[in-house]
Amino acid sequence: MPQSLFEKVWNAHVVEALPGDNALVFVDRVVAHEITTPQGALEIERYYGDQLYDPNRIVAINDHVSPAKDTETAIQAKVLRDWAKRHKIVLYDMGQNGICHVVAPERGFVEPGMTLACGDSHTCTLGAFGAFALGVGSTAQGGAMLAGCLVLQRPKVMRVNVTGRLQGGATAKDLALHVIATLGFKGGTGYVLEYAGDTIASLSMDERMTLCNMAIEAGATTGMCPPDETTFSYLRGREHQPTGDAFERKVEAWRTLVADDGAAYDAEITIDVNALRPLVSWGTNPGESVPIDGVVPSDAPAGSLAYMGLEPGVALRSLAIDQAFIGSCTNSRLSDLRAAAEVLRGRTVSVPTIVTPGSQAVKRAAEREGLHDVFQDAGALWTHSSCGPCLGMSMGVLAPGARCVSSTNRNFPGRMGAGGRVHLASPAVVAASAVLGRLGSPDELDAVVRETVNA
Amino acid sequence: MIVQGNVLPLDRANVDTDQIIPAHHLTGIESTGLGKHLFTGMTGGAEMLAEFADASIVVARENFGCGSSREHAAWSLADRGFRAVVAPSFARIFFENAYNNGIAPVVVAAEEIDALLRSKSVHIHLEEEILTRDDGGTVPFTLDPLRKQFLLSGGYMAFLASKIADVRAWEARRAS
Repeated sequence: MPQSLFEKVWNAHVVEALPGDNALVFVDRVVAHEITTPQGALEIERYYGDQLYDPNRIVAINDHVSPAKDTETAIQAKVLRDWAKRHKIVLYDMGQNGICHVVAPERGFVEPGMTLACGDSHTCTLGAFGAFALGVGSTAQGGAMLAGCLVLQRPKVMRVNVTGRLQGGATAKDLALHVIATLGFKGGTGYVLEYAGDTIASLSMDERMTLCNMAIEAGATTGMCPPDETTFSYLRGREHQPTGDAFERKVEAWRTLVADDGAAYDAEITIDVNALRPLVSWGTNPGESVPIDGVVPSDAPAGSLAYMGLEPGVALRSLAIDQAFIGSCTNSRLSDLRAAAEVLRGRTVSVPTIVTPGSQAVKRAAEREGLHDVFQDAGALWTHSSCGPCLGMSMGVLAPGARCVSSTNRNFPGRMGAGGRVHLASPAVVAASAVLGRLGSPDELDAVVRETVNA
Repeated sequence: MIVQGNVLPLDRANVDTDQIIPAHHLTGIESTGLGKHLFTGMTGGAEMLAEFADASIVVARENFGCGSSREHAAWSLADRGFRAVVAPSFARIFFENAYNNGIAPVVVAAEEIDALLRSKSVHIHLEEEILTRDDGGTVPFTLDPLRKQFLLSGGYMAFLASKIADVRAWEARRAS
């Protein structure tokens, strides 16, 4: 019987069928960070003698607040560090760390056909590799570390065919926002979004990660992209991958991880991106977005309008901003930084702007290209790698009422600080907005520069 | 098991976990003592909790618990004495976290929510899967048959621990 990509991965990991459409599912890999790991690790230590199923299947990453900002976060980092050392778990700590969803792939810790769990909702990012990558709670993550498995309800599968060419400034971020707006903020709930089509095949791994990163924002269990040559060449030579023939044998196995012709899906949609243009969110969930040249919709919910300080009909381009942020597990990889730098080169930001690379490795690669000079010459703050302002946990928290354009994934009330207002967009749109001091796109900026030159 | 108590009427959809507990309260290493932060990320949340101080059951609209996977959302609800959340739909991760922390995620039809928001208290029979409003009206619901055991007797991690030998045997077969 023909199988979807998801079915192939799922079926290869079911240890035991359980009541109620549940299954005991083997977990190949666990990524553990300092915010959500200590609770499960301590529970294992208290009740199960500090045993783990297989420490070699785990990596630990201090990522959310690193370096620590206070005593409490220092304790979190220390607990993760000590636990990792005790179990000889590979640890990426200050200096070699970054956002776990950026670090895990760049270290080659995720690969096609795997199941992977992490106590973080944006674990779906790693579905870009054709893995079944799942965000879970601390208890479930602890269970996966203790027993090598999880209880999961078998999700439904939605095939998302994407056709056309991203153009006119549209990026993978805009595609991600468009998918959420199409499905609705909870329209993916209960589904795995299995991406398919030539457009997906044409995307880089960075772009696929951006796309899969936001599957959770449609409520989906995760996103998945079919692995292909782009995937294999990304992984070749990475730290956790074998070299030579051993790697090439893995590639041969990975080539079978494509949806069979005639595979059945619970739902299917097709999205054409030819007409897609840069989007920006206006509301308080990522489904509430419109093209950058659009207006706040007439049917906008009152709650979203009140929180964002907006009225229906207001042009997004008219909105002055107080801060700009480029970073997060959505858009902080080298290609994202290049896109932002392209816009900022030779220009100056007019609002406080933070640029935070997704990992220390990304930071170093960006600096080898001189991108840090571009950002700093433009007047932006270039930081170490971190989750940063995205979740309002450490540096860059917004003041109440402050309006921020951000390359992140969530515009929830209070997400980047109590009362702070977040507009989600691609790195290029964030960079252009930072120059303009209001929401805007790079094509406007060309006009601004020309005017300056003519004057 | 019966869950009976006063209702916290939360007439909102898409209550995300950042609103339930903002990230700046995620700095601990334990799952206890988080009730004091409950709903501090929500506009009017503190006032609402003060008004319904004795509530132990949340009634809300669709997509409750969306967003971040932080189990702190379930921990803060449990620590504050909440035993159930009634809503037309839940986000997956919160749904799982609720079961693992003694909070019944009770799914009812969207058209039932108005009456439930008006009900000062509700009575939830978890085994029989029947919810009763204070006007006597009843609403049936279905719990996940496996996770219901975790809810009634705890022990998600204990269940997984009981499977370790089976999992190792399965893995050995896979490798061969």
